[in-house]
Amino acid sequence: MKDSCSSISKRLEKYFDNEATDEEKSLVGKHLLSCPPCQSALTSMEGIRDLMKGPVEEAVQKEDFSWVWQKIQREIRIKERPTRWEYFLSWLDRPSLFQKRVWMPAAAAIIILVLITAQLLLKKTPSYPDPTVVVYTESQTHNVMVYESGKGMVTVIWLFEGPEKELPAS
Amino acid sequence: MSHEEAELISQCQKGDQEALKEIFDQYHKRVYRIAYGMVRQREEALDIVQEVFIKLFRSIRNFKGKSKFYTYLYRMTVNTAIDHTRRREKIPPLSLDEGKGIQLSEEVESRPDRILLHKELKEKVKEAMEKLPNDQRMALVLRGVEGLSYQEMAEAMGCSIGTVMSRLHYGRKRIQEWLKDYVELSDLRAGHMGSAPIKEENGE
Repeated sequence: MKDSCSSISKRLEKYFDNEATDEEKSLVGKHLLSCPPCQSALTSMEGIRDLMKGPVEEAVQKEDFSWVWQKIQREIRIKERPTRWEYFLSWLDRPSLFQKRVWMPAAAAIIILVLITAQLLLKKTPSYPDPTVVVYTESQTHNVMVYESGKGMVTVIWLFEGPEKELPAS
Repeated sequence: MSHEEAELISQCQKGDQEALKEIFDQYHKRVYRIAYGMVRQREEALDIVQEVFIKLFRSIRNFKGKSKFYTYLYRMTVNTAIDHTRRREKIPPLSLDEGKGIQLSEEVESRPDRILLHKELKEKVKEAMEKLPNDQRMALVLRGVEGLSYQEMAEAMGCSIGTVMSRLHYGRKRIQEWLKDYVELSDLRAGHMGSAPIKEENGE
């Protein structure tokens, strides 16, 4: 075997597999003309391939695949009925749903709904202490209301009532 | 992917069994070739075909069309066949009907000694294939039997083109080494066996 054979060997496999570039084909072709060992290597690759392929092709030709399909069909039908969960997942995975882009407005509507609800729920309602009226007096000129609003705080409200003025007659 | 094929796949994704039947009709022989090439046993190869198409029907919804459909199917076949070979400890011997061999040339057929040699060679190649690691055997099957390109093989096997080339190289090298003691490799080629000398064993 020549020294150049080692550099050719990888290209020889590409050549054999029909994956060589035009340049490589030309290089290997020229080399093969004058190199019996590489010719022999190429022939042995062809031989191995043929001996591998022959029995496979023969087995394919002999086989009747119609019963294989029937078995497949039977197997599929047995497990055809999906569980509810599988049905739900398949519904979610339906490509048409994504293609129609119904998810964008639906998701937006859900987000808005959640935000509004959250706002309503979390909104602090002012909590007024339950006032306890301590004193309430009324007179002609004023009213006084004293009540305790918790934590020792006392609130006093004075309401002054002026004399009612009669509206001038027009 | 052609429009017809895309439509077929889309129908299959919706659970249409007729669409699956059409896919089966188009691809079952290719799937069988790969399966048989890997396991070399009829019943098991047919089991693999069945398993592949059932798996395909159940998982075709995951096929988004980013790769070619047949490489997606080949990948499924490769994985299923490798699972099968891993499951069993040893490949069973050839069944009787498998010993008939490939078509021989007239020259070989007229020579009983050559027929014997051819059968022995087939047996030796088969044994050598069985000794190969799964990935190298698969590479040889996809290339030699199914005729896939390096790119298609890389997609089907989930590896780089460099890895594909390496698996092919080492697979072939091993088989050549195992057969070297048996026969002159240059005379291996079917139909060109007129001058194939059997190497005498034990120096006789």
